[in-house]
Amino acid sequence: MISTSVAFDAPDLAAHLDQSSAEQLDALDFGVIGFGPDTLVHRYNAFESQAAGLSPQRVLEQPLFTNVAPCLNNFMVAQRFEDAQDDNTALDTTVDYVLTLRMRPVKVALRLLANPGGATRYVLVQRQPR
Amino acid sequence: MSADSTALEGEYEALIQFLYLAPVGLVQIGLDGQIAMMNPIAAQLLMPLSRDGSLDNLFVALENVAPELRCLAGNHEQPTGNICDGLHMHLNAGGAKRGPQILSLTLLKLDASRAMAVISDVTEQVRRERRLRQNEAWFNAILTGVTDYALVSLDLQGRICEFNASIGRVTGFGSEVVGQPYAVFYPEDAITREQQHDRLREADANGWTLDEGRRLRADGSTFWGSALIAPLPDRDPLPGDDGATPAYCLILRDISDQRAQHERRRDAAHVDHLTGLANRRALFEAAQLELGRSRVHPRPTALVVFDADHFKGVNDRHGHAGGDAVLRHLAEIMQGSLREVDLAARVGGEEFAVLLPSTGLERACAVAERLRASVAGAAASFDGHPIGCTVSAGVAVDLDGSASIDQLLRQADQALYAAKREGRNRVASVPPNPLKAPPQENNDAA
Repeated sequence: MISTSVAFDAPDLAAHLDQSSAEQLDALDFGVIGFGPDTLVHRYNAFESQAAGLSPQRVLEQPLFTNVAPCLNNFMVAQRFEDAQDDNTALDTTVDYVLTLRMRPVKVALRLLANPGGATRYVLVQRQPR
Repeated sequence: MSADSTALEGEYEALIQFLYLAPVGLVQIGLDGQIAMMNPIAAQLLMPLSRDGSLDNLFVALENVAPELRCLAGNHEQPTGNICDGLHMHLNAGGAKRGPQILSLTLLKLDASRAMAVISDVTEQVRRERRLRQNEAWFNAILTGVTDYALVSLDLQGRICEFNASIGRVTGFGSEVVGQPYAVFYPEDAITREQQHDRLREADANGWTLDEGRRLRADGSTFWGSALIAPLPDRDPLPGDDGATPAYCLILRDISDQRAQHERRRDAAHVDHLTGLANRRALFEAAQLELGRSRVHPRPTALVVFDADHFKGVNDRHGHAGGDAVLRHLAEIMQGSLREVDLAARVGGEEFAVLLPSTGLERACAVAERLRASVAGAAASFDGHPIGCTVSAGVAVDLDGSASIDQLLRQADQALYAAKREGRNRVASVPPNPLKAPPQENNDAA
């Protein structure tokens, strides 16, 4: 189990996640949503599934910004991924946000990761102490 | 796990997903605005408005775009029912920015402690409705049974070419109007010289131009008129022809009977309910129109923002009703000392903006200074007691329509902050040029 200790703010995290197995992602103590250039979700770890109250089969292969997490579909999140894709630049930024997990507003930090040419972009979710 | 509880869990998950995917924002709040539950679209729409990255209170999140909410909720006396229904909140004027410009809010009071809010992005819908209204104005001008109209020929500069009986019937003016600009039919200060020319250019470009508004008779009384200007063919003067050659025809009609309807519609959508001034929407519309025109025919446009000094202290000492009295007092002073062509709007809780067409920096600062001095010299009255108040002002000027209203507002705000820093009760300005787009900030959608 090499990946249990990886931190939310670790450097080069996207490469590390790319190489992690589903079980290793499930062992993390923050949420991981991985999606392709077409925005279809193909990685969804246990922490996120538990927090959102959605099982992976309801989420996998669904478009992230319209069918899984519409709350992220604005210039603060979705457009950052679009801009990074358009400009062919890497994205690694952390923003304070509010998710509506089971309709309860929850303050979180979101880390947005994308590499030009990378097969998977990531939204990582860490709960903030209130 | 029993089959029953597995089935129940599946139902629960389906319900959760139903709420996650609902294409409108749903929020449950306390009557103080505190957010108890919300779905993702609500967060999508509200997060760009949040100043501190949190969404704890709906009224706080919407403070800059719908300052009246807390007051509306507090004043709702019925035990249940709609606090507001489809209230439009204007976030920005669009332009380069993507994302919603107008949100609609419905607030339903459930009981003495809770309310439900429905929030949706109605930007496109409002745009469609505006186009429909324009068509309606067209029909008013052409089809509606109006008893009479004045037919006026104008030269290339918009001066009246010749007198005829129809002008006398509708406006009471006589042949003395010949050679005067068509602004003679407008109340004083209701149209600038540049705007008169804009309308002629628009007629050239589109084949016609139409507007409705207050018009002036020779005896000083006013009526609600519809004015259509269309270019005429063969407008170049013939050799040896010394009289003015008609280049446009102006059809002026008295449609006063339709005015009430027009005004009601304007009021509901364009007026701030507390002060009777224009709201953010009306300011954005007027500014976009004026700046768009100055891109074609450059002239300066000034924006002055005013903010009541130490307003929180006024609220603390006199309660929200006292604060409201001060805001109404400020609005009265503004309305009483501006030209008809100027537009005063309430753009935030205690923040006002005044749009001054065809006005450069020096005159805008003079207007701001005059308003500041009037406010400092006259206390508001509340419950028989005077409440003294001062304002700080920030002035920004666009020289040629190259700025958007969002940029102009931001610049005026920067000047306002400078005025606040320097000790309040004063006017500060930013130099008009060069105007360049400041970098996009994260939370500037408000």
